[in-house]
Amino acid sequence: MQESGSPALLEHLFRRESGRIVAWLAGLLGSAHLQLAEDAAQEAMLRAAQTWAFEGIPPKPEAWLFRTAHNYAISSVRRGVVFSSKADALVAALETVSQPVLDLDAEQSLRDDELCMVFMCCHPKLAPDAQVALSLKLVGGFSTEEIARIFFSEPSTIAQRLVRAKRLIREQNLTLAMPAKAHLEERLSSVLKVIYLMFSGGYAAHSGEDLIRGDVCLEALRLGRLVASSSMGAPRVDALVALMALQAARLPARTDVAGDLVLLEEQDRRLWDESLIALGFTYFDRSIAGDEISEWHVQAAIAATYASAASSAEIDWAAILEHYDQLMEMTDSPVVALNRAVVVMKVHGAEASLAALIPLQGKSALRKYHLLPAVRGHVLAALGRLDEAKAAFSAALECDCTLPEKRFLQRQLAMVSIQLHGS
Amino acid sequence: MAKFVLLLHSDGEAWKKLSPEEMQKKVEKYLAWRNKPFVVDGAGLVRDTGRVIRAKGDGVSVTEGPFSESAEVMGGFYTIEAADYDEAVKLSLDIPHIGLGTIEIRQVMVYNT
Repeated sequence: MQESGSPALLEHLFRRESGRIVAWLAGLLGSAHLQLAEDAAQEAMLRAAQTWAFEGIPPKPEAWLFRTAHNYAISSVRRGVVFSSKADALVAALETVSQPVLDLDAEQSLRDDELCMVFMCCHPKLAPDAQVALSLKLVGGFSTEEIARIFFSEPSTIAQRLVRAKRLIREQNLTLAMPAKAHLEERLSSVLKVIYLMFSGGYAAHSGEDLIRGDVCLEALRLGRLVASSSMGAPRVDALVALMALQAARLPARTDVAGDLVLLEEQDRRLWDESLIALGFTYFDRSIAGDEISEWHVQAAIAATYASAASSAEIDWAAILEHYDQLMEMTDSPVVALNRAVVVMKVHGAEASLAALIPLQGKSALRKYHLLPAVRGHVLAALGRLDEAKAAFSAALECDCTLPEKRFLQRQLAMVSIQLHGS
Repeated sequence: MAKFVLLLHSDGEAWKKLSPEEMQKKVEKYLAWRNKPFVVDGAGLVRDTGRVIRAKGDGVSVTEGPFSESAEVMGGFYTIEAADYDEAVKLSLDIPHIGLGTIEIRQVMVYNT
């Protein structure tokens, strides 16, 4: 123990190591003993917290955590806490590593463990919701409560989802190994989807009072880079990483000091994270080196067009619209169509934008999505159809959205009302 | 300056409810507190209820305890320097342990010869 521990631990040390420990132990024990791996990781954090708080940080905190978790796992199996007829085999598996990752030469194998864990969490037998929750819990080291906050769910709902997913993993005997070659493509697609869902969960509803969401974005970005740097790397993985880095760079500018939303065009570009922008462009360049053009490529191209404009007045809306047209051919997502309609307004004006919105009315996927009426309200207001705009903003306020979004919509509504009655 | 020992009781469950990130934030706060100039020393204690040795007849009895009736165990202690109890209490009002268990402040006895 150091005589006086440094007051600031390594950033996100516990969260990151918790995920790595679970992946590492689960790799040794098999997916049937996920719970033991999780308990051991939690116990290691707990003991660290209660020891380090008094005695300072040990010289190799990561190794300390791994060793503690490892010891806990061995003693749990020996004490029969884990009911298993294969207790001896489990202890033997654990003891294959006598010096649990004490040197960080094992970094590469740890990354492989994590990667296997990501692929298991994204197994197609699990529902997409469960895939995201499991990845956040097991790989990202987020608590059930934190995940519930991210997805506006009750902790009990998330807990149930996790329990069911883990039971399914046990029953189906899903292994912690990279999928066979024949399934690689399909599995990679679902991994990328989950990583982006995770990212959007952190990004879409970012609000000033909930800083954890930024962490979720960065965790998704970390996982994306993990996949990109592995043997699973592919141009579309690079494109996804580029997209996430470029979007995450804007997080600090998305809300003002009051936690209110700031529209892209009004964002203070000086607040954008330069290192993330640079990272985004590096990955973007890598992603377009091959022939592949995926959905992620086009989305990344849109984000890159925004980011490369020197000011909001210089955004190349025509280029962005072209990308959206391309994206529309690749996906039938109504959310993409809605975003496209916003860009149409920039390029062809409000009348054309309104026309683009018409086919989206009544789409079940957008039924409760506040942005559809919000965008309609915006377009109608620009056309001077203030009564209809007012109704649209009121309808948007009926939908679920975050407090900053609510405040934003209320301001729009007030502005339309003033125009209506003031003139 | 007199010395005081802060005995930090902890029920363990409060810690368990924290996420890894929250635990880390908490540890960082403890470490910052521990680095304050008036803190002399500190150590954690193993999380069990300890043993109690008492005289029993001619011999001794050793029992588990002494906190058997409560879930709280002693988590650790700090030694601090302060002029008197009032100051010791005042210095300890922002200790990060608040919320995770009770804190008992005891003065270390010194005999002036």
